[in-house]
Amino acid sequence: MAVTTKGINNILAEYFDLIDSYFGSIKHHLGQEEDSHIDLAIHMARYPLVSDLIVDAINDIDDQINAFWQKNLKTVAEYIQQQDSLKCLYSGDISPVILENFVKRSAFYIDSVILADPIYNLTLFQKQIILDRKYYLQKLIRHVFNIWKLKELALLDTPQKVVLILPINLQLVNQESRNRLIIAADQNLAAYVGRILDVKLDSGEACLDYLEKETTADGLFRQFKHLELLPHMFSSQESFQKFLADFSNTGKFAKFKEKESVGWDFGIYLRSQFIRVQEHKYFCEKLIAEPIYDYELPWFFFNYEMGGVDMDAAIATALQSEKFNWISNVPLSAIAVMRAENKLEYMRGVLRKGITDLKAKNDKDLLKVGEQVEANLKDAFAKQESEIGALQKQVNNIMRKEIPITSAGFLAGFIPPPYGNVVSLLFAGRDIRKSLATRADLKTAIGEKKGNFLNLLLKSYERKD
Amino acid sequence: MSEKIDFDFFGDGMRIFMDYIHRQFKKNPDYMPHPLIRAFECAIQGAEKAKIGERFMGVSQNGTPTNVCNPFIVVLEKTDSGVGVKEIRNIKVDKTVPIDVMLIIFRLQILLDRIEGDCVTPAQMVDALNAVIPGNKFYALGDRWKEARDEFKRLLEAGKIYIPKDSKLIDGLTSITYNMTWEEYPNNVRALIGSSIAQAGNLPSGTVIITSPTNSKIEKYKVFDSATEFLLGKSSEYLKIRGNQEKDSKNP
Repeated sequence: MAVTTKGINNILAEYFDLIDSYFGSIKHHLGQEEDSHIDLAIHMARYPLVSDLIVDAINDIDDQINAFWQKNLKTVAEYIQQQDSLKCLYSGDISPVILENFVKRSAFYIDSVILADPIYNLTLFQKQIILDRKYYLQKLIRHVFNIWKLKELALLDTPQKVVLILPINLQLVNQESRNRLIIAADQNLAAYVGRILDVKLDSGEACLDYLEKETTADGLFRQFKHLELLPHMFSSQESFQKFLADFSNTGKFAKFKEKESVGWDFGIYLRSQFIRVQEHKYFCEKLIAEPIYDYELPWFFFNYEMGGVDMDAAIATALQSEKFNWISNVPLSAIAVMRAENKLEYMRGVLRKGITDLKAKNDKDLLKVGEQVEANLKDAFAKQESEIGALQKQVNNIMRKEIPITSAGFLAGFIPPPYGNVVSLLFAGRDIRKSLATRADLKTAIGEKKGNFLNLLLKSYERKD
Repeated sequence: MSEKIDFDFFGDGMRIFMDYIHRQFKKNPDYMPHPLIRAFECAIQGAEKAKIGERFMGVSQNGTPTNVCNPFIVVLEKTDSGVGVKEIRNIKVDKTVPIDVMLIIFRLQILLDRIEGDCVTPAQMVDALNAVIPGNKFYALGDRWKEARDEFKRLLEAGKIYIPKDSKLIDGLTSITYNMTWEEYPNNVRALIGSSIAQAGNLPSGTVIITSPTNSKIEKYKVFDSATEFLLGKSSEYLKIRGNQEKDSKNP
């Protein structure tokens, strides 16, 4: 039996109830700011005594979330597969920094954003490798409330679900396929590192052994022979050093920090990216979904593997770039309005204009896509403004010109009384009523135009500076 | 960054623990909450129909009418906006329970709930106490009792241990033989001899040594009694276990 949207909504409602049963007691501390989940996480992890109580009290959430997905995974996965729509699967870090903004940007182009359940990944897998329980708590609260903010949108009753949540993890893949994916990742890692260093490496292990010998970021950078093959963030010595310092810092809290070598850290990072690419590719195929990223590095490695992404994935990912930060100003309700007005296809048409049969292979291609999308939006906004302007002009004409002239004609006695008085009065009255009715219609049209999703988008664009 | 979140140790701690209890009830309708919570519920029931300014007290414990264990009273006062907590008291040590100790008790309950049954082993007790009370103050003697026994003998022979002649310990000490098992030692003798491991094992000063035999079963409510004794009772005056937490939390 086909899974219904209502059935999925019930599952999602149960998911949010589960979150509420574990974190409902602290949700009153969540502020209104877009990054309030990050603040809340920091504050709670630093809360003397209470932070320890939370860690102990929520210790079994992994069992509960596992039981929840054991019961519902198949149903949600089948529903996603059945949807003949544009779906994108997120594959950045655990969840985007500000998930609400990520979804806002995505939902103006794609039908459904599929998010890997951050609670599943954190509690069942990351918990095992995180050494500091307060660091774990901070991460968990941050991602829990990141997704909690989407509750209303996730439960919105629309023909195509705007947000779908599903466990995505390599551990869910059967042993045989998992081994195949890891072998592929290791081969690709060795080939990539071999190319950037101009050395021959025949396995992932050989690659890590080679990199381990390099103990400084400077030394490692000097070994790069093909900077053009590196992501933008690694292409200057300064940004590369900063990245490695940040990554190494994160490692202090996790068990992967096995060796005191910058080269080793870099190798481990690259390996995790190549494995992630395989995982993402696998799940995109299974769910018949496009990849979507909000962060340059994972996107770079996915592109490197795939030789570029197609138009839809490129546009969806371009919308996540910095130039579209202003979309964050759009209220979540605008997405609901757009879906209620059934305007997603129209919006897609607007954004796709001039972008056909494209393959975005690198950062430059994505930049071009972003520029075109921005130009398309500006055109749409200009058209929208001009339509509203024209309507407003008509209203002004009725208000300032047509009504006074009709009235003036009557008052000045151009039609001789007494017969003319009656006729004029009738005609003038009828004209006024007609004009007022027209004005009311126009005002309604303006109201509708101003209240429609495109105008909500336009207003956010105007506020961007 | 948003404005700093106001910490409400009592309110937040209570809400987090009540959510935990609700989840336990979902898993097991027969789940028995800690006496502090049961006393709290009793007092709330009374306060519901009370007039503003009236006070209600709830009492609960884990033992029997003749063997009182882990007993708590909660006194609430009806106010304009609901109820105010006037007192949370442990009757056994006869002390008001500060918020930091209340939070430690909640955590101890959670850790003990993870162990099936009504009893724990000495090692489990020590692990739970060390997990919730900072400083790693507790030590399970376990199989090192022979070491403790030999050290005790050495200290006694060296005249470094003074035992009053009229002490009941004398009878106990004279009753033991070299071949006796640790289980056969009288409780008070085990406690005396066991503490010698502090010298033999280079344990830090102030370490509480649990001398129960490895396989013995300790009722969970006795673990709470031990914790409240170490945190609030006479022992706390000597051990100074709560030094650091008091600086961190506010009183109700």
